[in-house]
Amino acid sequence: MSKLLEINHCRKRFDATRVLEDLSLSVEKGQVLSIIGPSGSGKTTLLRCATLLETMDGGDLIYLGNYAARDEGGTSVYAPPAELQRIRGMFGLVFQNFNLFPHYSVLKNVTEPPILVQHRNPAEVRDQAMALLEQMGLADKADAYPYQLSGGQQQRVSIARALALNPKILFFDEPTSALDPELTGEILRVIRKLAEEKMTMVIVTHEMMFARDVSDWVVFMNEGVIVEQGDPREVIDHPTQERTIQFLRRLQEK
Amino acid sequence: MMKKSLALLLALSLVLAASLALADTFKMGIDAEYPPFSYLDDNGEYAGFDVEMCKAVCEMNGWDLEIVPVNWDFKLNSLDSGEHDCVWSGMTILDSMKEAGYVLSFPYYDNTQVVLTKEGNGIATTADLAGKRVAVQLGTSGQELLENDQSALSATFEGGAAVTMENFNICGTELAAGSVDAVVIDLPVAQTLQKKFSGLVILDENLGSEQYGICFRSGDDALCAQVEEGIMKLVEDGTYLSLAEKYGLDPNVLCLLPKAE
Amino acid sequence: MTILTMIAKMSEGLGRTCAIFFLTLLFSLPLGMLVALLRMSKNRAVSTVTKVYISVLRGTPLMLQLLAVTYGPFYLFGLGVAREKLVPVIIAFALNYAAYFAEIYRGGIESIGRGQYEAAEVLGYSRYQCFLRIILPQVVKRILPSVTNEVVTLVKDTSMAFTVAYQEMFTIGKQIANSQTSFMPFVIAGVFYFLFNAAVAFVMGAFEKRLSYYR
Repeated sequence: MSKLLEINHCRKRFDATRVLEDLSLSVEKGQVLSIIGPSGSGKTTLLRCATLLETMDGGDLIYLGNYAARDEGGTSVYAPPAELQRIRGMFGLVFQNFNLFPHYSVLKNVTEPPILVQHRNPAEVRDQAMALLEQMGLADKADAYPYQLSGGQQQRVSIARALALNPKILFFDEPTSALDPELTGEILRVIRKLAEEKMTMVIVTHEMMFARDVSDWVVFMNEGVIVEQGDPREVIDHPTQERTIQFLRRLQEK
Repeated sequence: MMKKSLALLLALSLVLAASLALADTFKMGIDAEYPPFSYLDDNGEYAGFDVEMCKAVCEMNGWDLEIVPVNWDFKLNSLDSGEHDCVWSGMTILDSMKEAGYVLSFPYYDNTQVVLTKEGNGIATTADLAGKRVAVQLGTSGQELLENDQSALSATFEGGAAVTMENFNICGTELAAGSVDAVVIDLPVAQTLQKKFSGLVILDENLGSEQYGICFRSGDDALCAQVEEGIMKLVEDGTYLSLAEKYGLDPNVLCLLPKAE
Repeated sequence: MTILTMIAKMSEGLGRTCAIFFLTLLFSLPLGMLVALLRMSKNRAVSTVTKVYISVLRGTPLMLQLLAVTYGPFYLFGLGVAREKLVPVIIAFALNYAAYFAEIYRGGIESIGRGQYEAAEVLGYSRYQCFLRIILPQVVKRILPSVTNEVVTLVKDTSMAFTVAYQEMFTIGKQIANSQTSFMPFVIAGVFYFLFNAAVAFVMGAFEKRLSYYR
């Protein structure tokens, strides 16, 4: 299997606080990787570095062999803007808070990026967008505006929006954290379906059961480093590291 | 609620203050930018021919003098509303004022409207004003004159009318800067501007004669008579003439002086 | 002079009043955006200079700025005074209103959450596309009520132009009031301004309604 994403020796600090320390990770094509860990462990920062929303201080960031950032003497040197823009086309990101564009209809939220950024044929993009919305169970909401939708519906639109750009890999940043508990199911179902279709995904989540069921690989992070990783059933059901055991126990108590 | 009662209180205290002050305060309404009749002098005090005349009259009657600078465009409105008791500031007596019921004193000064221009503007007579940009102060008798008796002349100006300016300083500035070609203005004010800006000349032509007087609210005939009486005393004791000399006014225009036979 | 004659004479100045109004909006609305962007610049020098500009123009009377723009060059450098007063009047008004609009824009832009920028960035929008398509339309909707306030004020502020002898409607009204010893021209002026602002309120209300399709 080929490596879709590679992060080597990533370092990141905010002012005096060390957020990520010598962290390496790779994702293979068709793989579903879940990142778990307590809040403040650096999961979200790792995701933001991978999606170019934050810059790493040191380390490599490589998509399909293309360097977005290359470590030169302990400092990350980023590729020129045009190259970064090309690399952005390879991944999609689903935010915790959806971040739909409120002034666009559901359909326009999904169709504008491919038309504007990828210069694709509007009619063809429209057909694809309608198919995606159909898949998300939202075909009848195409002309609605985000404020008219429930949180779960909005999150499904944002997944459709990310998929419309045909990304090679899709990142999820705690996709159900902003939702009412009864709405998380519909999002998890959509992600599970994408996993069945062999979509490559990296999911930061607090849903342990879901992470165990859907992912091929689980990474447990704490204080900016990977404490434990491996087969989800192994890591979640039979953790070996003290920190992992504590974290999972505390989660169960809740 | 709080605001309302506060406003009411303020209004009440204003009325109270006004009525208290009325007892022995004479409030003189002036255009504070009208030298040499009424203006702020170099020390920041009100000065001028009219101001000193009024001071003397008040002294005579035992009144406290309060000088109220007014917006010249609204001088009659502020007079009506009691902000001041008279308008006394190189004010030309207009028929429309009498028609509107205001009480006017006898004239104390003969004025002429003249054309002030700048050397090199090629203006020697009023005929040369054709097609030129001519200014006049808004709300002065000069404006009145150009709209009525001299409307034929003003029709020849650039744009078919004079440009109205906020005050004589701006008239002088624009004339000196060359953005207007001439100003229709009271003779004594023209002479003052000549001292301030170099190169200004007065055309030897009288556009209109008029007289300065003091304007009181309708019904204030007694107050007017009292002021007139005071002025006559100042004429007799020579203050009238000496003040005119102090402010560089031509004695020929002091219409209250007994005519020399 | 009959009221109809007064209205006719004052209407002649209405064109000039409208000229101040529309030209000020034409220049100050975009200029305000430029000032707002400079104000938010990461370059400290640029943002400080812009901050001073805004505080001076908002902190001094418009009347003073009119006098400064019109007569300042003459008193300071001995330069001429413009014969056509529309030019200095529009310069002063546009500079003044740009300062007010800039602060309104800045407030609007800063009220848009970071998530909108990040979503656009990840989707591949350029900074320019993001600002024009995602941020600006939302800013416009949010600031419309404050902009309406300023526009209404502008209608009334046009009468300030009298300070530099620009013969707009209110100046003509004062001329008539004076030569006729009548208060009627001010009543007429009041009605003019009121109707003008009613039209402004109607137009701005229509804009707001058009943008009310989303929240």
